[in-house]
Amino acid sequence: MNIRRMIILGLFVAIAGVLHAVECWVPLPLPIPGVKLGLANIVALAVIELYGWRDALVISILRVFLGTLLAGVIFGPAFIMSFAGAVASTLAMAVGCKYLRSKLFSLVGISVIGALVHNIAQLSIAAVLVVSSGVFWFLPYLVLFSVPTGVVTGVGVTYFFRKLPQNIIL
Amino acid sequence: MRLTLADKVLIGGLIVVAIIGIGWHVTLNSRFRGQTAEIYKDGRLIDSLVLRSNYRQVVRVGTETDYDIIESDNGRVRVVEADCPDQLCVRMGWINSAPAEIVCMPNRVVVKVVSKERSDIDEIAR
Repeated sequence: MNIRRMIILGLFVAIAGVLHAVECWVPLPLPIPGVKLGLANIVALAVIELYGWRDALVISILRVFLGTLLAGVIFGPAFIMSFAGAVASTLAMAVGCKYLRSKLFSLVGISVIGALVHNIAQLSIAAVLVVSSGVFWFLPYLVLFSVPTGVVTGVGVTYFFRKLPQNIIL
Repeated sequence: MRLTLADKVLIGGLIVVAIIGIGWHVTLNSRFRGQTAEIYKDGRLIDSLVLRSNYRQVVRVGTETDYDIIESDNGRVRVVEADCPDQLCVRMGWINSAPAEIVCMPNRVVVKVVSKERSDIDEIAR
């Protein structure tokens, strides 16, 4: 790994961590556990496209540590839920990018898949933590919510690539 | 910025599935009026409140520092106060019919409304 690449990946961790933390501070007007904008997924998807899924997974895990530390909820239930959601959605988006991207979906579709998997993973962890399968009644509301957030994230990634100077990455 | 056909099918499909799910939840809710509210902590039933009109009951569950104060009033139940950081359980407000439930993730407390049908089945099972 050369130094330039290391610096850029570090920068992505910092950006994603801050996005994650800021998102924790912004209360959404929906009383549903686990609902968030998923802005940090912009970084995850961008890194999958630029450097591949291994780096994206490492960045996602590091940003959960950094983001929950900054938001003051590290090692609580929110941490476990974010961790599961980040890992699951990064892997889902990586699979999506590899096998479905060119043929079927644009980045927006991949990002919606990521948001969906993120919510399902978080809700599964929530169900285990409170030992109640009734938590899954929130799933339709979360699915409905993951469509707009996934689209916003996907559009964000698309514009990021449009504005990205060609010579900065490598 | 253009969406492919698969994107549109995915987005449309998810919206339809979500709306069907929400509709199902809402219909179930309107059919089964709750009679009791069961309070679970860490998956164990620790208390239950009676849901009846003109009847009010308040309980406090948890420890000195991690607590939830739960109130039933006039056939409805809510979390009045909790010391969790996100306060989602408090913001969920009143619920009054099965299978609605309030979840307090940080304290791992679930408040579940149980209707008569459901508790009958439970009694037979016992």
